[in-house]
Amino acid sequence: MPDGKYPSTPRVDAWDKVRGAAIYAADDARPRMLHGALAVAAVNRGQIVSLDVERARAAPGVRLVLTHQDMQGVQSAGFLLGGGFAFQSFQPMLSPAIHYRGQPIALVVADTVEAAQHAASLVAATYAVEPFQLSLDAPAQDIVAQHGSPLPQATYADKVAGDADGAYAAAAVKVDATYLSPPQHPNPLELLSTVAEWRDGTLIVKEGSQNSGAVRHGLARQLGLDPARVQVLSPQAGGAFGQKNSHQSHTVLAAVAARRLDAPVKLVVSRSQGFHGASFRPASRHRVRLGADRAGRIAAAIHEADQQTSRHDLFPASFTEMTARLYGIRNFRGHERMVRTDVQTPGYMRAPFEHPAGFAFESAMDELAYALDMDPVALRLANDTTVDPLTGRPLSSRHLAECLRRGAERFGWARRSMAPASMVERDGTAIGWGVACGAHKAAASPAAARLEAFADGRIRLAVAGHEMGQGIRTALANVLARRLSVDPRTIEIIVGDTRAADQHLTAGSWGTASATPAADAAGERLIQALRSLDPGYSGGAPAEVLRRAGRASVAVEVATKAPGQPDAVFQRLQGGLPAVQGPEFPDFVSMSYAAHFAEVRVEPRTRRVRVPRIVTVVDCGRVVSPRTAESQVRGAAIWGLGSALREISETDGRYGGFVNADLAEYVVPVHADVPEIDVGFIDEPDPRLNALGVKGLGEVAMTGVAAALANAVHHATGLRIRELPIRLDQLLAAPAARPT
Amino acid sequence: MHPFTYTRAATSEQAVRALAAAGPGARLLAGGTTLYDLMKLGVERPSHVIDINAVQELSGFDTSGPRELVFGGLSRMSDVAADRRLVEGYPALSEALWRAASQQLRNMASLGGNLLQRTRCPYFRGGAPFACNKREPGSGCDAIGGIDRGHALLGGSRSCIATYPGDFAVALVAFDGEIDVLGPNGARSLPVEQLHRDPGDTPHVETSLRPDEVITRIRVPATRAGRASTYHKIRDRESYAFALASAAVGLEMDGDVVRQARIALGGVATRPWRAREAEEMLRGRRLTGRAAEEAGRIAMRDAQPGSHNEFRIELARRTVADALTIAAGRA
Repeated sequence: MPDGKYPSTPRVDAWDKVRGAAIYAADDARPRMLHGALAVAAVNRGQIVSLDVERARAAPGVRLVLTHQDMQGVQSAGFLLGGGFAFQSFQPMLSPAIHYRGQPIALVVADTVEAAQHAASLVAATYAVEPFQLSLDAPAQDIVAQHGSPLPQATYADKVAGDADGAYAAAAVKVDATYLSPPQHPNPLELLSTVAEWRDGTLIVKEGSQNSGAVRHGLARQLGLDPARVQVLSPQAGGAFGQKNSHQSHTVLAAVAARRLDAPVKLVVSRSQGFHGASFRPASRHRVRLGADRAGRIAAAIHEADQQTSRHDLFPASFTEMTARLYGIRNFRGHERMVRTDVQTPGYMRAPFEHPAGFAFESAMDELAYALDMDPVALRLANDTTVDPLTGRPLSSRHLAECLRRGAERFGWARRSMAPASMVERDGTAIGWGVACGAHKAAASPAAARLEAFADGRIRLAVAGHEMGQGIRTALANVLARRLSVDPRTIEIIVGDTRAADQHLTAGSWGTASATPAADAAGERLIQALRSLDPGYSGGAPAEVLRRAGRASVAVEVATKAPGQPDAVFQRLQGGLPAVQGPEFPDFVSMSYAAHFAEVRVEPRTRRVRVPRIVTVVDCGRVVSPRTAESQVRGAAIWGLGSALREISETDGRYGGFVNADLAEYVVPVHADVPEIDVGFIDEPDPRLNALGVKGLGEVAMTGVAAALANAVHHATGLRIRELPIRLDQLLAAPAARPT
Repeated sequence: MHPFTYTRAATSEQAVRALAAAGPGARLLAGGTTLYDLMKLGVERPSHVIDINAVQELSGFDTSGPRELVFGGLSRMSDVAADRRLVEGYPALSEALWRAASQQLRNMASLGGNLLQRTRCPYFRGGAPFACNKREPGSGCDAIGGIDRGHALLGGSRSCIATYPGDFAVALVAFDGEIDVLGPNGARSLPVEQLHRDPGDTPHVETSLRPDEVITRIRVPATRAGRASTYHKIRDRESYAFALASAAVGLEMDGDVVRQARIALGGVATRPWRAREAEEMLRGRRLTGRAAEEAGRIAMRDAQPGSHNEFRIELARRTVADALTIAAGRA
């Protein structure tokens, strides 16, 4: 297209997905396959005193039972944020120690999955139990400030600009409020699952992951293998959402069992076990203070937050990295603390910090708008910036004001009346309109790509990247098809395969911004290679050139990296370690932005909240795959709705773990909950970040949705609810509006 | 899942004989939507499963009779929910079915099995380490003092506060439905209201059915209150969730005066809960918003909240009031 916009190409793997031809790890079914099932701890903290596996061993069809007594020589893979590869430093079943309820204590392998599950239920353990704590209101020794901790201070020190406390004290209009966000679980539809087998001393693992490189190097470290002897195949993940961003606890168990039994072993972690065996969004509490002058110019913001971590790892938060940069507030202070609780280590769940931080900060912005009696959109527009408040560097691009203006136009915001409970239907239904913004770092990682064209017409791209449903194959195909002037359907794309390219973590909304520039550069390199065969070549199907030159194929390789990254990052890529840059780059700071507008309807008697529509406009740089990008934004709006109004992982202080550990009791939105979602893109490239001008999308699209809904609930009812999820529990605590 | 044997019955009599022969570890298999779920969780551990899906005389239903509606115990929830005479003449019965579960589950689940659906209490379903008197009599009740947001406000005991989860039984109780059952000593009938027992000290004994009885038919007396009726269900999402509070309501009106009201509550009690005092209060009164809300208050007068479920007392009151308003709009 002449304006540089990309066409709305259909999802390249849509046909495979609807036919069931897209293969996920647990789809692997072969005659000699054996099946695993986990037995898990019934207590939350302590030591295994006795473990009786004799009945399980004797059960029909059982081939093997592994416990901590069978794992000699196996190491921890190390914590992702501590130079390792796993979501937590603790590897279950290496000792009798129990760190959380639901922790695996035995793996049973049998001829059928039913036999394995039955035998797993026969494993009996006794424990010496120890006290545990689950609350953010923890004793002082369980609270660790990120500032001054062993964590890398360049990232995790307090975020300070100007004198926030002084400016706040002097401000004419103030807001000081505390917001709570509960533990939540991402529940990708594809359960955590692994097929492990050994061939000639090489370990081959199939597992849906967004970090096959970490699975590979994690297994190599755990089993003392040369990484060249480990292959990880993750062509599809059936949803990942951050939970599958690193090496899991169950994978090595399947690998050890497969080696013992000399047969492929499939291990699928049940839904309920997945609530306890993998990472989740930790609870967090945010105190936000805003101080402004009477014209709505914000002089100071102070954002202090506590976030749950485990006892064995320091999982830090990056709430204020985003909130410090959402507006042009010159005096900012952000301070974050980690609270040790007795759980598996929590982790990254879509917009891991930006969603709860956005709920808190953008709710506070709404409170400030009401304290000022100022339109909430106007307040946000009055605090725009072109400079990063923390570093003083220019922002590579920022179109948040345009997101707000376009969103307000599409939503019809001008027809809103400011006063709470002022828009009411004839039957007494209260109407609420809320707005909130979001930002997310625009980051990038190094990526290696190999592009091959064949005389028979095939084109094959292998690149660092993972397909978790977001549509990275479609984005890659769209970019490469334009570069080569070929039909995107002729391009085979290999992602998530450690045999084809070194694999980096695909997360943090940097996947497209990292992989598509590599694909584009590989395309350019291929054109050069084809020109060396035919100087007149100017794009189009390469097969003709190859046939005339008598060549069966031509291959090129490129490696790209983020602006300012040293070449040493390629070693980290090869070692399966995170090598991400952003939002700070040497000459600028890069963020993606979104503005959300939400309507709620609150029933007069029961106070049931319905959401008829959400409008989201996003500045994510150039949109390289409009179809899948729109889909991402819709999914983010739905998840934002779920997070705001539905989702909570319930804990019982007597037992630890999570009580509502299934998809009936952990309430996510269903189709009947899903509103009309209107998606808009600014679609202005950010060429300073990469040649294509791509920023990130998946997470900024969710950031702020919860606040827009909470602000809409306030507008409808006058109730300011500061704890998620907003449910009838809180709405009925206050007197109901009466039908008119 | 624990090993079990499996047989198929061709007639109701065969099913009864097989139940009697297999003893206390036997379970009937109809739609399997609850039984298989609980077997996978290890909560149900039948030694013998008797499949009654091939029993012809249990399927089908007839809503055309002048005196009563008749539903075979094996008729599927989705088939009955879509019946036009039910949708028009007894919306409460139809809504109680289609507002339950998901389309896929309703396609499988039988009416008889649905009446016997077991509680969603997570301490019951969760297994070890939770104590549950329903699952293991005498072990205690961890729902009391635990995450009791969804637990019963009415009918609980010191042994159990598990909520009866079903919807259709609530509507049946409002409309004086009966069930016909077949056992070794022949057939008998009982009101649905007497099917489910209060938990008392024996919460593991959930119904007044004997272990070797089969529900063959469900019958509902024809009534004018069918048309002016609704099953109003409030839950944590718009579909595919159990009730936080629900109300089955049927009205016979003289203009805006209530001649007779039928009210039953779901989602808030240990069994389907008929609210007769609220019905009595409304008799002969104009159905104003205030009267509807008073009916809700009376219906929940004996509610006993726990730690996290007090909001559902107010919610249930208002659900009753809304249900009365909706039903009156159909008179």
